[in-house]
Amino acid sequence: MNPAPPVTPEDRLKALLRAARPSPAVPPQFVAAVWRRIEAGEADTCAGPWWLVRLADWLTQPRRALATLAVLMLLGAGTGLMQGWMRSHEVARARYLAAVSPPEPGP
Amino acid sequence: MNAWKTWMLVVGALVTAAAVFVLTSQAVARWCAERLVNPHDDLDWLRREFRLGTAELARIRELHAGYLPRCQAWCAQIAARKSELAAELTAQGTFTPRAEALLREVAALRAECQADMLRHFLEVSRAMPPDQGRRYLAEMQRLTLGFHEQTERAMTPAGHSGHAHP
Repeated sequence: MNPAPPVTPEDRLKALLRAARPSPAVPPQFVAAVWRRIEAGEADTCAGPWWLVRLADWLTQPRRALATLAVLMLLGAGTGLMQGWMRSHEVARARYLAAVSPPEPGP
Repeated sequence: MNAWKTWMLVVGALVTAAAVFVLTSQAVARWCAERLVNPHDDLDWLRREFRLGTAELARIRELHAGYLPRCQAWCAQIAARKSELAAELTAQGTFTPRAEALLREVAALRAECQADMLRHFLEVSRAMPPDQGRRYLAEMQRLTLGFHEQTERAMTPAGHSGHAHP
C-alpha cells in the first residue's frame, strides 16, 4: 500500500481558493435569453433591404464614390451649359427689346 | 452596420449627389450666361436667333442706328407730356379739359411711336432672309404689341367680370 502523497502548502492554498470562489446559480431562462440576444444581434447586422445594402456597399468604396461624383459633375456641367445657353439667349433678347421698345417712361 | 446607419449613409450620399449636381449646373450656367452674351451689342440676339450673315447684320446695324435716336425722341416726348399731365392733375385736383387734351396727346404720341417701331421692324425683316424675316416680324409683334393686347384682354367683360361696360 502506497502512502498518501504529502500535502504541500501549495495544494492546500489551491483547495482553499477553489472553496472560496463563489459559483452563482444560473438564473432561470438564462440559455434562452442568451440565444435571444444572439438572434437580435444577427438581425441587427442585416441592414435593410438588399438593394440598400448593395447601394451602401457601392458608396462606401472610395473609387466608386469618386467615379459617381465625377459623373454627376459632368452631368451637372452639361445641364449647366444648356441652361447657360438658354439664359444668355433670354438676356440678349431682353437687351434687344429694351433697345427697340424701351419701357415707357413714367412720371 | 445597422439599418439606421445604412439609411443615413444612403440618404446622405443622395443629398450630397443632388447638391453636387445642382451646384455644378448652376455655376456652369452662370458662367456660360456671362460669357455668351456680348454686353456691348444690342443686336447679338438677332445674329444668334435669326442666323444672320455679316452683310445682313451690317445692314440691320445701320437701320438700328437710324432708329434709336427716333425712338429716344418719341420716348422723350411721351415722358414730357406725361409729366405735364401729372402736374395738371396734381395742380387742379380734377380732370380738366387740358388734362384730357394732354391724355389724348400722350395716346397719339404712343400710337405714332408704335407705328414707327413697327415700320422699323418691317425694314429689319426685309433685310433678313425671307423666312427669318417673317419669323422676326411675328416674334417682334408678339413681344412688343402682345403686352398691350394682354392688358386690353384683361379689361374686356369676359376677362374681367367686375368691370363690364354697358
